[in-house]
Amino acid sequence: MVTKEVEKLLKKVQKPARYTGGELNSVVKNKDEIKLRYAFCFPDSYEIGMSHLGMKILYSLVNGREDAWCERVFAPWEDMESEMRKNGVKLFALESGDSIDRFDLIGFTLQYELCYTNVLNMLDLGGVPVLKKDRASLTPIVIAGGPCVCNPEPMVDFIDIFLPGEGEEVTNELIDLLIEHKEKGSSRLEFLRDAAKIEGVYVPEFYDVEYKTDGTVKSVINRETAPSKVKKRIISNLNTAHYPKSFVVPFIDVVQDRTVGEVFRGCIRGCRFCQAGFIYRPIREKTPETVNEQCRCISDKTGYDEISLCSLSTSDYTNIEKLIPMLFEWAIKENINVSLPSLRVDNFSDELLEELKKVRRSGLTFAPEAGTQRLRDAINKNVTENDVLKTVQKAFEGGWTAVKLYFMMGLPTEKLDDIAGIAELAQKVVDAYYQIPERPKGKGVTVSISVASFVPKPFTPFQWEPQDTGEMLEEKQKHLLESVKSRKISVSYHQSDTSVLEGVFARGDRRLGQVIYKAWQKGCKFDSWDEYFNFDNWLEAFSECCLEPSFYANRRREFDEILPWDHMDYGIRKEFLIAENQKAHQSETTPHCRVKCSACGANKLNGGKCDARS
Amino acid sequence: MPGVNGWTDVRMFYEKTGMAKYISHLDMIRCFSRAMKRAGVPIWYTEGFNPHAFMSFAMPLSLGTESFCETVDFRLTQDVDLSFLAEKINGVLPPDIRVKRISKPVYKPDEISFAEYEIRFYDVSENFYSVAMDLLKSDEIMAEKKVKQGRKKTVKEVNIKEHIKRFSLRNEVFSDVLSESNGYSVTSQKTDAVLNVFLSSGTKANINPSLLINALLKRCDDFEIDFDIVKKQSYIENGEIFR
Repeated sequence: MVTKEVEKLLKKVQKPARYTGGELNSVVKNKDEIKLRYAFCFPDSYEIGMSHLGMKILYSLVNGREDAWCERVFAPWEDMESEMRKNGVKLFALESGDSIDRFDLIGFTLQYELCYTNVLNMLDLGGVPVLKKDRASLTPIVIAGGPCVCNPEPMVDFIDIFLPGEGEEVTNELIDLLIEHKEKGSSRLEFLRDAAKIEGVYVPEFYDVEYKTDGTVKSVINRETAPSKVKKRIISNLNTAHYPKSFVVPFIDVVQDRTVGEVFRGCIRGCRFCQAGFIYRPIREKTPETVNEQCRCISDKTGYDEISLCSLSTSDYTNIEKLIPMLFEWAIKENINVSLPSLRVDNFSDELLEELKKVRRSGLTFAPEAGTQRLRDAINKNVTENDVLKTVQKAFEGGWTAVKLYFMMGLPTEKLDDIAGIAELAQKVVDAYYQIPERPKGKGVTVSISVASFVPKPFTPFQWEPQDTGEMLEEKQKHLLESVKSRKISVSYHQSDTSVLEGVFARGDRRLGQVIYKAWQKGCKFDSWDEYFNFDNWLEAFSECCLEPSFYANRRREFDEILPWDHMDYGIRKEFLIAENQKAHQSETTPHCRVKCSACGANKLNGGKCDARS
Repeated sequence: MPGVNGWTDVRMFYEKTGMAKYISHLDMIRCFSRAMKRAGVPIWYTEGFNPHAFMSFAMPLSLGTESFCETVDFRLTQDVDLSFLAEKINGVLPPDIRVKRISKPVYKPDEISFAEYEIRFYDVSENFYSVAMDLLKSDEIMAEKKVKQGRKKTVKEVNIKEHIKRFSLRNEVFSDVLSESNGYSVTSQKTDAVLNVFLSSGTKANINPSLLINALLKRCDDFEIDFDIVKKQSYIENGEIFR
């Protein structure tokens, strides 16, 4: 719902439908009949935020309660923000049009580190004190979840409560508790004390951090009701867990605008660079019947003409060969397209390829991640050159002519030879195309290499590794461009400065809060957008706080150093991560979880159960 | 009743008001094709490599303009009751988009010749009416039109006078109560100017009302005036309503 003041602004901005609300399946409730108002904030543009599955799940979960109303809030684009500030209009939620300072819970999802300044900016624009110490009354309580919460320390100055892990259960528990305290008329501190007793709730103000003279953490001491370690929450059974019956259908084109069927959580692969592969463990699968039913229901309610299966590695879903025909049975009749992202090259079967050919054909994407076998072994990406070539050959025979290859640079133990290997592998893919006798006449092949800069992340075997400096990455980028000889191959890579900043916050400590605050004051926001990213402002902020980005990004940490996120428990044992790190330096691989359990420890979160070992 | 292959061509008349005016033309196409799916409309799909629900809009509507006279043509592959179908589609559309009726098309979309708009200028100054009247009655109304010359986009000055078929302008005065005490109230008066105008519309000549509005605001030398545009009706050459 749009207020009169906002309506005037809408005529002056781009894509006004970002701000109108009123989309199909959005939920409007009577304010007088509810006890708690929850503003779910996505700290990026509408188009990005509306693509996020987690928000859809929690939106429908909270709105399933009679006593609470969850609304959506996104970061307004610059044109809208400047109109809002000029006219004194506060950041508002799309469903009611009410400003977020009138809400009880303000929840942010922290999906990537470069959204942190947007969190500050949204609070400020909403009339909520940016620093948590300046919030006096019981509500609003500012909470945050999402993958970045596995190291929440850089954001502790701004967030009252972090919820590590999966939110479906703990969100309801927290809402119950806040309603109770609102009715009792409790103080903020009384509420936080009780909240800290809930498993999977991290109240940062109850932890005191001391530092050594060299800047590393000396100790983290818990106070009040807070546990010494906060254990992330997981949902034990995904078949019975809440899943939306419908999605809000945006008017404008958003990034992911389709039915999403989540097939499992966790990942069996154990690629050493991949944070998601560790922090979402243990493996829990849905039955194909559940996925099929959920996809059907959402498609009916939205009218979407595409279904996407979602997980970290969908071809590892044990029932994929059963699920695909189940979906096709009704989807094809209704002109609905089924797409499968995250396919791995080593188990891409002929049958799957045949099924894929029945629907609309998009490009094929593979992620060898590294250019040489030695480096792929070091990062435990258990894919051989032969796997890649065999698969692309199959794809070319099936009529595909465009292949995208994803790589990383800046990986631990990487040498320039490994970089040249990226170009060599791409060249072999090009050659494979021209060896196909029945290739389409007059059609060339295009191989696009996309190279991301590796950022070491918490809870991975590489959490102790130094990240490449901007100069090192630029040298490697140059070397790659020089190594590519064919015009059939195109190369794209990311700006190295943003990777450095991402690395700093991924493994940062509490002292970085002041850097984020200063950078925001200097105008930093939308840092993940190239057109807004201003590295100079960031460097100024660091130097004003007497902190060095290199201390966080480019320093090798010892195994016995206390890491800023050591008081977060994601199930993964540190000894396992150390062993994996040592194997990486020997280029030794670890088999995936279905071949052999490596005892990572995550199954203890699920009473010893893990679907990789059924 | 059914045409070739048992197909029926139909025209759906709908209103796009309130916040729906901020849905762009391209987004409307997607919005309708999803609504057709949700409502289970037996709509004909194109048979190419990339099948999609076939729909043809008579005229694209500018972003920010409300309309009571939008139409979209499509083809049904089964015989269905059209008023029941309209009801069903309304059941799955956002409230600001309302289907008025579905019927057999009478005229071709390219027969549309002009359209009626109501433009409300909010809280205008005293002399707005006379300035606007002067402009509307003069022989030449120059407006800046964006044109494409090959690949280049430029602005061209055009006289839109001949494209204004008919107009009327009136002032509406409102009293706003600012404060009340002891039975006395302090009020302020606000004047809206409401312009009703018939402009060329369609494939031969099409004048976007914003051209006229910009010319007006330029004459007033005030680009801060807030206004709303409502498209009320489309007509064919002889003055009959497009249906």
